[in-house]
Amino acid sequence: MYSQKVLEHFRTPHNFGSMDNPSTIGQVGNLACGDVMKLYLKIAKNSKGQEFIKDIKFETLGCAAAIATSSVVTDLAKNKTLEEAIEIKNEDVVKALDDLPTIKIHCSLLAVDALVEAIYNYYQKTGQKISPDFEKKHNRIITCQSRLKH
Amino acid sequence: MYISTKSRYGLRALSNLLGQDCCSVKKIAQKEHLSPDYLEKIFSRLKKAGILKVVRGANGGYVLNNEAKNITLKQVIDALEKAEFSCPNFCACNSKSVWQKIQAGFNQVLESLSLADLDENEEKEIYLDYAASTPIDPEVLKTMLPYFSQKYSGNTMSLHSFGSKSSQIVETCRQTFAKILNVLPKEIIFTASATESNNTVLKGIAFANQKKGKHIIISSIEHDCVLESANWLKTQGFEISKISVDKYGLLNLDELKKTIRPDTILVSVIHGNNEIGTVQDLESIGQICKDRGVYFHTDASQSFTKVPLDLSKLNIDLLTASSHKIYGPKGSALLYIKTGTKITPLLHGGGHEFGLRSSTLNLPSIVAFTKAAEIATANFSQENKDLIKLRDYLIKNILKSIPDSFLNGHPTKRLSNNINISFARVEGESLLLELDFYKIAVSTGSACSSSSLEPSHVLLATGLKPEQAHGSLRFSIGRFTTKTEIDYLLKVLPQVINKFRQLSPFKK
Repeated sequence: MYSQKVLEHFRTPHNFGSMDNPSTIGQVGNLACGDVMKLYLKIAKNSKGQEFIKDIKFETLGCAAAIATSSVVTDLAKNKTLEEAIEIKNEDVVKALDDLPTIKIHCSLLAVDALVEAIYNYYQKTGQKISPDFEKKHNRIITCQSRLKH
Repeated sequence: MYISTKSRYGLRALSNLLGQDCCSVKKIAQKEHLSPDYLEKIFSRLKKAGILKVVRGANGGYVLNNEAKNITLKQVIDALEKAEFSCPNFCACNSKSVWQKIQAGFNQVLESLSLADLDENEEKEIYLDYAASTPIDPEVLKTMLPYFSQKYSGNTMSLHSFGSKSSQIVETCRQTFAKILNVLPKEIIFTASATESNNTVLKGIAFANQKKGKHIIISSIEHDCVLESANWLKTQGFEISKISVDKYGLLNLDELKKTIRPDTILVSVIHGNNEIGTVQDLESIGQICKDRGVYFHTDASQSFTKVPLDLSKLNIDLLTASSHKIYGPKGSALLYIKTGTKITPLLHGGGHEFGLRSSTLNLPSIVAFTKAAEIATANFSQENKDLIKLRDYLIKNILKSIPDSFLNGHPTKRLSNNINISFARVEGESLLLELDFYKIAVSTGSACSSSSLEPSHVLLATGLKPEQAHGSLRFSIGRFTTKTEIDYLLKVLPQVINKFRQLSPFKK
């Protein structure tokens, strides 16, 4: 059912564990559904003065697809500027895993959502301007979350 | 050096004694496809050589006389045959020194290997999903194969001798089941699956009795084939009530009494639950249904031959049993229908099975199912005792070695082969896949492994929170499960749980 790539990431996930003093955290999913993802980001400035993801870690409770998508999203996001990182789409995650079973596509969404939430929280915390598009993305995620909780 | 069949079979048979308290020659012979007499000869030689000793009593058989690591392969082979490499003509031929060197080298290798290596070098595949389906018993397979031959090619409905020969065999099988269940032969019909039997009951009773009423009662922990049949009947204008269970999965009998109405036509309750193993009190449920004049069906797919079923003493009108849960082939099952029960067939056609189930009978599978039931019934007390011992050993040690784990189902009113445990802060599908890497096959009630993405309705019915259902694993053991396998699982499982608890954002 799963691709070799998914099984590899599942068995030996990259960048897992918690982080001391992260710049920001993003958490999505809920226990009732079985999948909860938490991303820790350490943000620094590159030589051009842009903020980028210097380090990233994840903790996930969930199925093999949830763990594999978390692992891949950390790979995709690491060393990217925040602006680049928010452009990562769930299709990119699916592609990097050589596809996911249809029923597990929502896991890739969850992984991308965790990243969006972490960056959104960071922008808010540091008082940076949030674009209307990004605000919309965040709103979609939190509505989805609250719907799941009921 | 010469290693003959004796040694090879001897070593294979000995590997079955590793980590075992005791094991009978019969059981090992069955597993290794050897003749018990032949194996007895091998074992008695090994006993003479001091490698094995005899254990008497009900659990009797042979055990290793020493620790496996202290018994070298050379000792075993020497005991079974003269292990010598020499010149073919036993003279001081030109190549003598070379043969002597080879002999010395061989001896060195055989002395360096012990019986313990047999265990470690074996590619372990541990099947702990007997509740999903059992492997076919070699004895059953052997019994079944001749029935594929031309001799038995007749349709049971044909008048010629081919047909009547097949028909006679089916009737003998029917009699065997009738004897096991203590019912009349004509009350047994053969079907192709438990799903078919259960569909026949739900739909057949509904359609035949709709003049009396359109209300059907099932439990909240039925197998999908009963549940989905009931859901479909809802679309046909029938009303379905589901009776709740307590935290152990036992049916709420007061609720059942209150739910039965004048228009209730059927109560269907699973006997031994496939997920949590809880065994229902059929006597009480049957009595309630009898008092109220309602048909009672039980799905005994998991419990048949694991829990004694004397239908002459129980008020049961319909019962489902299946072949591939009792070491028979897939695609064979039965339905017991008490004389006088009003039921419409699901399959119409040539009028086989007293007009209740048209389809040409699958002779080899029926013969095999019968053989499987005979073996299971004959070995019932010993096999059940062994399984319960292994089951309770596994439960006790998991709960002891893994914090925040708890048993699902009833501690004692449970199937002898079922172990269902929830682990906090982990998810079942990932556990299942990780265990699969260790070649251990189990099952889970997690939503993530189901096609519906809903957690097990059975676990939720016992009051578990969804996250507790997600973290559940079912281990189901069986005839060929060994204590060595269980010990290996007990070694691996804590590491696996720990790995995913480390990954989880929820720490204790």
